[in-house]
Amino acid sequence: MSYKPDENDWMAYLYGELDGEAKERFEKYLLENDDARATLQKYHGLRKVMSHLEDEEVIAPPIVFSDTKPSFFGQVPYLKTIMSIAASLLIIILVGKMTGANVSVTDNEFRIGFGEKKSKETTPAEIIQEPLLTEADVRQMINESLENNNEAIQASWKENEKKLTGSIKQNLALNSNKVDALIRQASTASQEQISQFVSGMQAENMKQVKDYFALTSAEQKTYIENLLVDFADYLQQQRNNDLQLVQMKMNSLEKDTDIFKQETEQILTSIISTVGSSSNNEIKN
Amino acid sequence: MHAETLLDIAMMHSDSLILKAKQGDQNAQGRLVQLWYKRIYNFGYKFFIDHDLAMEISQKTFISMCKNLSGLQDTARFKSWLYKIAVNYCREEARKMKGSRSLSFDVVWNKEADDSPRWESSGQRHDNPERQFEQTELSDILQEALSTINEEQREVVIMKEYEGLKFREIAEVLNISENTVKSRMYYGLDSLRKVLEKKNINKDSIGYEL
Repeated sequence: MSYKPDENDWMAYLYGELDGEAKERFEKYLLENDDARATLQKYHGLRKVMSHLEDEEVIAPPIVFSDTKPSFFGQVPYLKTIMSIAASLLIIILVGKMTGANVSVTDNEFRIGFGEKKSKETTPAEIIQEPLLTEADVRQMINESLENNNEAIQASWKENEKKLTGSIKQNLALNSNKVDALIRQASTASQEQISQFVSGMQAENMKQVKDYFALTSAEQKTYIENLLVDFADYLQQQRNNDLQLVQMKMNSLEKDTDIFKQETEQILTSIISTVGSSSNNEIKN
Repeated sequence: MHAETLLDIAMMHSDSLILKAKQGDQNAQGRLVQLWYKRIYNFGYKFFIDHDLAMEISQKTFISMCKNLSGLQDTARFKSWLYKIAVNYCREEARKMKGSRSLSFDVVWNKEADDSPRWESSGQRHDNPERQFEQTELSDILQEALSTINEEQREVVIMKEYEGLKFREIAEVLNISENTVKSRMYYGLDSLRKVLEKKNINKDSIGYEL
């Protein structure tokens, strides 16, 4: 029976995964068959070519693991959803309680409100009181009270007016009496008194002027005295300076004269000596 | 998968680390993110050829991983479980892209700028600038070829060829039979071979050039 390996045998043999009897049979087939050997060579050649495709170099990026382990809540399915719904309901209930929300459905009416519902029913007391006081009664009562009030206000106004007029009159009478007394006093003042008053005023003024002049004259005197003293000092100083200058000049003149004198003497002695020596020479000759 | 050190690969599959992360140890979760980020990013990048999308997928994947790790029954299936998350996000993004049918502004206008950092980043691998250019060009061609194949096949090809998952693991990720995975792989490779043949890219031409 002739053996012909199939594609599975070929691949298994090519990659070294054919064992035992199957491998022996395949190798025997190769020995007997030139074409099979050529095919195997082709496969080896192809694998050699393919081996030239090298790996790409890559560096593994750091992978960070979270430390938190899944909690009990995370493991139970839908628990998170249920819990969130429950929390939402709780919040709604709490807000409703705090704001006093009121939801009611009565007689085809859906009502949402805040705070307690105000009842439209009237109390028995109101039922009894209603016929006792009509609108006219209330108006009458208001008018009566207004009238009473007006009367009381008018009475108090009148009383105040009386008091004010009384006090004004009293003040006027007092003031007029005072003015009259002053006028009377002024009219009774004699000519003598006036002249006396004026002379007194004049005397006082004179005294003030005299004092002023006396004070100013004394100040002026001291000032002029000081001025004169300063001027005298200045003149004295100036004089001293001038004298010093003259003395200095005189001294320098004296010095110059002395020098001139000495020079003259020297010249004279030199002339005398030269004249003396020349006369001696003449004598020797 | 040659960029990771042996220690990293060992840690990526360490049962104790996965267990710690599963119990809510944030340091262990962070370490897992660091270890697997490049793989998931490259899966996303090879799927879409788009850095931003790949970053988004990676971040979503790891956020989902941290959230749902406690529900992982068998720690031995962590790898396929993680890729399953990534594949789901990839499919979601692919659906969005089909729905919007719009191009990113960066893709249209900033293609050159987007390419330039790759030149710089790969500069240290090759001393020869010509070789560097050829390598970049070949990568682009292969990436382009991958993007042309069917999405279902592309998922399988990337997971098998570049992510090193076993067929059994891919079957777990995609929730399909192992044979279907192998079949998708077979046709995926076939399609790729045809695309590359059209571009005259084969083992010999690559050997000559590089």
